[in-house]
Amino acid sequence: MGEFKVHRVRFFNYVPSGIRCVAYNNQSNRLAVSRTDGTVEIYNLSANYFQEKFFPGHESRATEALCWAKGQRLFSGGLNGEIIEYDLQALNIKYAMDAFGGPIWSMAVSPCGSQLLVGCEDGSVKLFQITPDKIQFERNFDRQKSRILSLSWHPSGTHIAAGSIDYISVFDVKSGSAVHKMLVDRQYMGVSKRKCIIWGVAFLSDGTVISVDSAGKVQFWDSATGTLVKNHLIANADVQSIAVSDQEDSFVVGTAEGTVFHFQLVSVTSNSSEKQWVRTKPFQHHTHDVRAVAHSPTALISGGTDTHLVIRPLMEKVEVKNYDAALRKITFPHRRLISCSKKRHLLLFQFAHHLELWRLGSTVATGKNGDTLPLSKDADHLLHLKTKGPENIICSCISPCGSWIAYSTTSRFFLYRLNYEHDNISLQRVSKMPAFLRSALQILFSEDSTKLFVASNQGSLHIIRLLEGSFKHLHTFQPQSGTVESMCLLAVSPDGNWLAASGTSAGVHVYNIKHLKLHCTVPAYNFPVTALAIAPNTNNLVIAHSDQQVFEYSIPDKQYTEWSRTIQKQGFHYLWLQRDTPITHISFHPKRPMHILLHDAYMFCIIDKSLPLPNDKTLLYNPLPPTNESDVIRRRTAHAFKISKIYKPLLFMDLLDERTLVAVERPLDDIIAQLPPPIKKKKFGT
Amino acid sequence: MVQLRPRASRVPPSAMVDEGQPASEEEEEAEHGLLLGQPSSGAAAEPLEEDDEEGDDEDDDEAPEELTFASAQAEAREEERRVRESVRRDKTLLKEKRKRREELFIEQKKRKLLPDNILEKLTTAGQTNIKKSSGKLKEANLQKENEDCDKGSDSKKAKVQKVQSVGQDKSYLALRLKGQDLRDSRQQAAEAFVQNSLYGPGTNRTTVNKFLSLEHKRLPVKKAAAQFLNNAWGTQKKQNAKRFKRRWMVRKMKTSKK
Repeated sequence: MGEFKVHRVRFFNYVPSGIRCVAYNNQSNRLAVSRTDGTVEIYNLSANYFQEKFFPGHESRATEALCWAKGQRLFSGGLNGEIIEYDLQALNIKYAMDAFGGPIWSMAVSPCGSQLLVGCEDGSVKLFQITPDKIQFERNFDRQKSRILSLSWHPSGTHIAAGSIDYISVFDVKSGSAVHKMLVDRQYMGVSKRKCIIWGVAFLSDGTVISVDSAGKVQFWDSATGTLVKNHLIANADVQSIAVSDQEDSFVVGTAEGTVFHFQLVSVTSNSSEKQWVRTKPFQHHTHDVRAVAHSPTALISGGTDTHLVIRPLMEKVEVKNYDAALRKITFPHRRLISCSKKRHLLLFQFAHHLELWRLGSTVATGKNGDTLPLSKDADHLLHLKTKGPENIICSCISPCGSWIAYSTTSRFFLYRLNYEHDNISLQRVSKMPAFLRSALQILFSEDSTKLFVASNQGSLHIIRLLEGSFKHLHTFQPQSGTVESMCLLAVSPDGNWLAASGTSAGVHVYNIKHLKLHCTVPAYNFPVTALAIAPNTNNLVIAHSDQQVFEYSIPDKQYTEWSRTIQKQGFHYLWLQRDTPITHISFHPKRPMHILLHDAYMFCIIDKSLPLPNDKTLLYNPLPPTNESDVIRRRTAHAFKISKIYKPLLFMDLLDERTLVAVERPLDDIIAQLPPPIKKKKFGT
Repeated sequence: MVQLRPRASRVPPSAMVDEGQPASEEEEEAEHGLLLGQPSSGAAAEPLEEDDEEGDDEDDDEAPEELTFASAQAEAREEERRVRESVRRDKTLLKEKRKRREELFIEQKKRKLLPDNILEKLTTAGQTNIKKSSGKLKEANLQKENEDCDKGSDSKKAKVQKVQSVGQDKSYLALRLKGQDLRDSRQQAAEAFVQNSLYGPGTNRTTVNKFLSLEHKRLPVKKAAAQFLNNAWGTQKKQNAKRFKRRWMVRKMKTSKK
């Protein structure tokens, strides 16, 4: 494999934002997650829990509610008072409609999917009609005294329950008047000065209203009489979210202490027909508040301030008990946030509102395998580039020669030219960027840094030629007629002839840059692409999918390579397929065409195509074999996949030159150190 | 009346005469005041003075002037008229000033607004609302001849606003400032409500450091508190502590030297 010096980088201060709302869509098995910075991410739960789409955030858009409507339409409401509909095909915001009620706290879609209810700051509940292309205001319900923090429809669509501060109201939908007003105790069997905030309500079809509040209680109310039926005190802190399953036999609640409780409807004795709600399972997968929970038919989904998304499949609901039934915790991003300039040893870090440019340190010492070499020159923070405006940065890139930086937000595209004199760097902005470049999903520079490739969210690919201090628009590849599909990933061949682009569903398109036309399309695969790269010299396109399959496609021959067919026939090792995190970057060694370097969050692997492939019986993760081991053992365990788990959690890994690697790690402890304060827990013995 | 106080300084009679005239006028007026119904205490105070001044006037030995009621009344009316005139003049002056200021304001506002042709276009343009920051106006390509556009856009507030895009000319965007302050304040109040209810007083929150340190304490192999294990923790506090220690040492050295 060779010996490498590894730059271990830990100064990327990446802190993801906390999860605020979660909405599960049953028809497509997709999960929409909205974060505190306004980003909305769509996870495809059947494609190995891969984040396939995302909408960039906005500073003023404090999303407080998210819901799916009929026909795969996603709506969100926030504290800026607007209802936003997202276009899932074009990956932009369709429209934002002001609800004129002040900040929006809650939103619920009717069971039939055609009406939308919004609970506002001024105490009004507004009903909107969902028309095929927009939403239309229908009427207001009776106005309440305090803000409406949670809403829930009765499955028949005739009544709704609205949770506010210190009380819950039940409305009749036809008349719009409040039928019952149920007052909630401020504290369990006591009086407290703090107001009781009803964070969540759920309406069951037998008329029971379940409410969760800030005093730590889960209460069952009878909506016909407006009385309290049962009271469960489950936590010392707020219970912040509730989600009921479709069959209404189980529901899940999330507390501020990070515990998620599962309630189930069980019969009182083994052969009686009478059932009651019992708290069955506690799960402690979070350290901070669990602000959003969702209940899919087979799993409990929770997300909160500690930024993890936890999907816990329920054992009794899962049909096949294999690795799919294990706990999934999504912590690290599924996209690349770091780009690297190999010639100048520069790293560009992408944050939500700024970019940082660092130069790697250097060392003159040498050592043996496993040594830590002292730095003769420290890593240097060269540039801190803040973006103007409230929008988040979608993507960014630095050219391989290090003289161009480009990044894009929803409304603008920025291109900067960097000049290096001795140790100083100066920045110059290229003005008057064309408008069609904005909302780019992926930016890539060619190897010789003369061309810029931009994939926009409308499905088109733009090629820009870069000249000294200015640019010239060369060509735009339009998407196939009829489809508006956003191109998410780009790869360019080192010789500059081929450009590969992958969308969200169709296959990978390969374009010929010299003749500016489509060359071929790799056949579509039912799992989304997570990483793309084109090898030098051989021009083989290596594609990694979210189900951990890796394909190699030869571009000049327009077919899969021999090696790819062999490994598809044999299949990957079962441990390889059971990894949870997707492969986010693929790169190649300039002198060794048989090596492919790829990494995911917890390992990096060099695939040696000349060595035999492992079958299920061989050991996948070999430790580095010592030289004095016998040849027999070495022959038995030598296979193509050389995996190392030394550096984790990895955000980025690349080959800088023949003997140097750079690995950007982000230890979880450093993320936790910057989170908001958690609830104090009293533990025995401390 | 007995003269209780002897006069200390004898002022020359000429001065007395001068004094006498206004004094006599005052006397007359005082008398008239008495006739007109002024408070008796004032009248009661006056006779004393009258007597004293008459005492001074005795040097002059002039008979007091006779003023008819009509003339005094005319004088009083003159006085009132004069006062009324001055008040009216003041009022008109103030009005003028106010008018001038209003005009000045209107002119300034007009200067701030975009020229008429753009405003016309705005009212006839489509109703699409796009949110843009005003910083963009400064850099967007203005394809108008007059520079008033630039001035107008430069003076706008730098906040996120709702805009209306102008029909065919999408090279710049206009801002609508009305109602944005109210919306912002409501949003801030809502965010403050959430912050207060989750992290405000009465909630049982602790720092991440203490939270993790408790966990370390409960592990089977006990570890130290998180702030000591992680070097990056509490760098500001450590810096402050270092600075304080240095200053304290210096102080200690100074006092020990003495």
